[in-house]
Amino acid sequence: MPKQYGMVIDLQRCVGCGACALACKTENNTQDRAKGQTFNWADFIYKEEGKFPNVKYTAMPVLCNHCSDAPCVKACPVKPKSMFKTADGITMHNEGRCIGCRRCQKACPYSSMDVGKDKAAYSVISVNDGVAEPHPFYRDGNELIKGCTASGAETAKQAGDVPPHRHDYSHHDYASVRKKGVAEKCIFCEHRVKKGELPNCVVACPSKARIFGDLNDASSEPAKLLKKYKAMRLKEEKGTSPNVAYVRNFRGAKKA
Amino acid sequence: MKIKRRDFLKITAAAGAAATVGLPKLNAFAQTGADKAAVANNGEWVPSTCQGCTAWCPVEFLVQNGRITKVRGNQLSKANGGYVCPRGHLMIQQAYDPDRVKVPMKRTNPQKGRGIDPKFVPISWDEAMDTIADRMMELRKAGEPEKLMYMRGRYSSTATDLLYGTLPKVFGTPNYFSHSAICAEAEKMGPGYTQGFFGYRDYDLAKTRCLVVWGCDPLSSNRQVPNAIAKFSDILDLGTVIAVDPRMSASVAKAQEWLPIKPGEDGALAAALAHVLLTEGMWSKEFVGDFKDGKNLFKSGAAVDEAAFVEKQTHGVVKWWNLELKDKTPAWAARKTLIPAEQIIRVARAMGKAGSACAVWMGPGVAMTPRGTYASMAVYALNGILGSIETEGGVFQSSSVPVEKFPEIKETFIDELAKKSGKGKKIDGRGAKDMPAMMGGKAGSGVVTNNVANGLLKNPDAVKVFISSWSNFNFSCTGAQRWDKAMAKVPFFVHMVTNASEMTQFADIVLPATFAPTEKLSIITNMANLHGHMSIQQAVAKPLWQVKAEETEVMWLLAEKLKARGFANLYDYYASFEDPETKKKPTDAAEFVEIAARISSQKVWNGKEKLKGDKLAGWTEFRKKGIYNSETYPYKKNWGKLDPTTGKFEGKFKTETKKFEFYSETMKKAFQEHAEKHKTTIDDILKASGYEAQGELAFVPHYESPKRHGSVKEYPFTFIDYKSRLNREGRSQNATWYQEFKKVDVGDESWGDVVKINPADGKKLGIKSGDKVKITSTTGSIVTTAKLWEGVRPGTAAKCYGQGHWAYGRVAAKDYAKAEPRGGNNNEILVDDYDRLSGSTARNGGFTGVKIEKI
Repeated sequence: MPKQYGMVIDLQRCVGCGACALACKTENNTQDRAKGQTFNWADFIYKEEGKFPNVKYTAMPVLCNHCSDAPCVKACPVKPKSMFKTADGITMHNEGRCIGCRRCQKACPYSSMDVGKDKAAYSVISVNDGVAEPHPFYRDGNELIKGCTASGAETAKQAGDVPPHRHDYSHHDYASVRKKGVAEKCIFCEHRVKKGELPNCVVACPSKARIFGDLNDASSEPAKLLKKYKAMRLKEEKGTSPNVAYVRNFRGAKKA
Repeated sequence: MKIKRRDFLKITAAAGAAATVGLPKLNAFAQTGADKAAVANNGEWVPSTCQGCTAWCPVEFLVQNGRITKVRGNQLSKANGGYVCPRGHLMIQQAYDPDRVKVPMKRTNPQKGRGIDPKFVPISWDEAMDTIADRMMELRKAGEPEKLMYMRGRYSSTATDLLYGTLPKVFGTPNYFSHSAICAEAEKMGPGYTQGFFGYRDYDLAKTRCLVVWGCDPLSSNRQVPNAIAKFSDILDLGTVIAVDPRMSASVAKAQEWLPIKPGEDGALAAALAHVLLTEGMWSKEFVGDFKDGKNLFKSGAAVDEAAFVEKQTHGVVKWWNLELKDKTPAWAARKTLIPAEQIIRVARAMGKAGSACAVWMGPGVAMTPRGTYASMAVYALNGILGSIETEGGVFQSSSVPVEKFPEIKETFIDELAKKSGKGKKIDGRGAKDMPAMMGGKAGSGVVTNNVANGLLKNPDAVKVFISSWSNFNFSCTGAQRWDKAMAKVPFFVHMVTNASEMTQFADIVLPATFAPTEKLSIITNMANLHGHMSIQQAVAKPLWQVKAEETEVMWLLAEKLKARGFANLYDYYASFEDPETKKKPTDAAEFVEIAARISSQKVWNGKEKLKGDKLAGWTEFRKKGIYNSETYPYKKNWGKLDPTTGKFEGKFKTETKKFEFYSETMKKAFQEHAEKHKTTIDDILKASGYEAQGELAFVPHYESPKRHGSVKEYPFTFIDYKSRLNREGRSQNATWYQEFKKVDVGDESWGDVVKINPADGKKLGIKSGDKVKITSTTGSIVTTAKLWEGVRPGTAAKCYGQGHWAYGRVAAKDYAKAEPRGGNNNEILVDDYDRLSGSTARNGGFTGVKIEKI
């Protein structure tokens, strides 16, 4: 059977701390939120239920679901597709072929064209501005105290890159900093996975709540968890067959 | 943003450039090719130490082509298991903060005040140090070196001795103060006056079967975040987590039991839990002892004959019962705490069932209140009843590592003037009749950080030269406005900081400080997870700016300048240091830094010490690995034993009785000394310091009612202040990632600052989520955004500390140039008050009443 990479998130282990999402930003050099685009390949949604003092709070990490039946892939108009499934089941984005048409973003049930307008909590797919270079924060030459404090541009210049902390890696489908006018999203850190490493959100999680592997391999850790616990997936009713699943509850189970 | 394909084509056509995005048509046919040649530099993980909170986690930075690109926990660390919490990642944006002070600067506008532009201009390090040395020499020449004041903010646990521990002594001033008392110091009073341990505790979380998280949120803060995060779920699986907190925190959200206590009533809950544990016979027979005939005489309301009980490791359990606990029933506590009596009993039984594997993890929410010492003792003493002191799954004193002290500051380095002036009265008011500050078992020994502002306001002539490093008291202290007033009067202020903070706006000279975790060579020690660690902090990449380490490099430069002006003692002391291996003495600042680090750390790598922890072959290996882990803390390390030859019990706790004191002889002695000094009674001291207890009650953990500033009529809401899991001690707000993920603080909003009130209160006041509101206390007002939230009790208002910067940088402040804050700073409404027995600043326990108005 071919591989199907996927992730199981154990919500009881997760504490909602945010380390995964921050580690993703450092790994993949995603830029700051702007113009309705979050650029957070890893993000969170929250659920609050009940009334004081019987209140239940759940934090859920979200990311690209790497759907088996991915609407973003179907919607991609270029040939060969810019958004496509790899042999290992990763929903991959080839930046070189992307024309920035945003049909993937429109088609994805987990994405929003403009999170501000849609009041969306997150968006799996973000699209880089067609005009401004990425990471404007580190291109701004303004000094708060002239001659005394630095600027974003000077910091980048002194460090020798934009952003100054650019994590340097190479992959044949995507650049470590995406260019103007193309879509981007979580690619399960394929540049790491192909070297036998786990995605950075997985290795950075201090509670080991994210379990990554081949869901088609019954002996893999995520497959074992899916067998052990009843899993939940986001918007399953959309029929996209997401490959990110959630097990257990954020709150610890009460003892009998 | 919107780019339709048509517009997009237009844009690229206009830009005319395949160079910008490439022609879409060509793009569409591009083939998936082979990878480019592997990246030339995959980088190297370089060890250092995070100091974003008080855990001081050993970490590693990925450095590629001289740039810092990623961070992780030091893979060898036993304290954090190789992980960082979210704070760790923010270090990258702090290192590359666009608003770093890059060169020394001086003020050109003599006028000082909030919102007044200091008109800083860049100067050279030489000019800056000349100016500072001149001002300091004026004090020496006038015979008033005591008018130099140094205040430290975050520091290196070893190198601080070269500034905080040296400069005041050699120069001759008693006025040097640590930031410690504004954070959590009152916590130390609980373990201090019961167990003789005035420190922060450690836990055996891997074996804990009942974790009581009380007045803190270990998943977010409180000294070992990655370790707590790693082990929390297993405790939920194998046992019970109980959270005592007036607001929904991350720990509360995951806990099996939440006790949403009325703020400030922690002492009542602790007393009732102790009452149930004793009346139901659930105390540890092994630790506390038992009744002579084995029959439990602890009955509600009934006094017990002390002679009927034989104690083992403890002292005064029956006295405590008779003085305090016998009437503190769950029904009584339910009225105070608003926690149902059934829940109190249920929780006490869960704790009792876990016994010595139940850890009560007490945090600042319990203790940092105007009468917090006693609540701290009451909550901590539960560990004593359960016998969970140094047991499997229990509570521990801190593990340590061997640090070599710097050479003694010999008499020859302290001249007559310094000797005389150095002994003067400190302006923080410690040791006054109404400020016992008896940290460490001795009155007048605790710092009263926040009272320095009051001292400066009362006596503006007391300080003429003020030096401070990595501090921002105008932001971080309650009653923050007092600091604005006080700082405006300081004639000459030198600030050593990474960013132009609120406090920096009052500076005459600003020295660009290293961002310690990525730029400063120093040795850091701390502990967690039953291990002590020593870790290196170093320049993992070349600093981008003209920064210097405040405790070492800057002090060396200052010593040189003072020497050139005829005062050589500081220089002579520093220059007397010797490298532990080469015996070479430092000749410049760079050599001084390295020798200092090698002196502090030598015991873990020189092979001369008999150490039970990691084995290190030498300095090079230590520097490469970046860490030394101590051995595991042995269980029951400080339990006493019956000496079979003498038949005497030999205790090891550092209390007067060498036992765990439910009746604190240690505290009694400290009180007696303080009363004698002021020629008065202990009862008078208690009254003057604002405590309710009189007589014997003062020596046992007991309930004191919460103090409240502002009447309920005028200020109906009780304000709850708490800590953010992204706060790096108030310094990370200029990171966009902080703002973007502010929502990870339970109930908070990204890029915002919200005060959370119960929807029922919102309805009453006509306030909706998103409304701008003004919060007013007896001290001041702030403007923020309202959020209706079921995670708080009606009548309370909860707000995270961290936002409200009106300086610091372009992201932290809404408008730096106009001194406009992003959100509101809790410290501008929290009242300047103290737990006077410890000298700690009050910030919890509902001591500040507020009103909330829609604007």
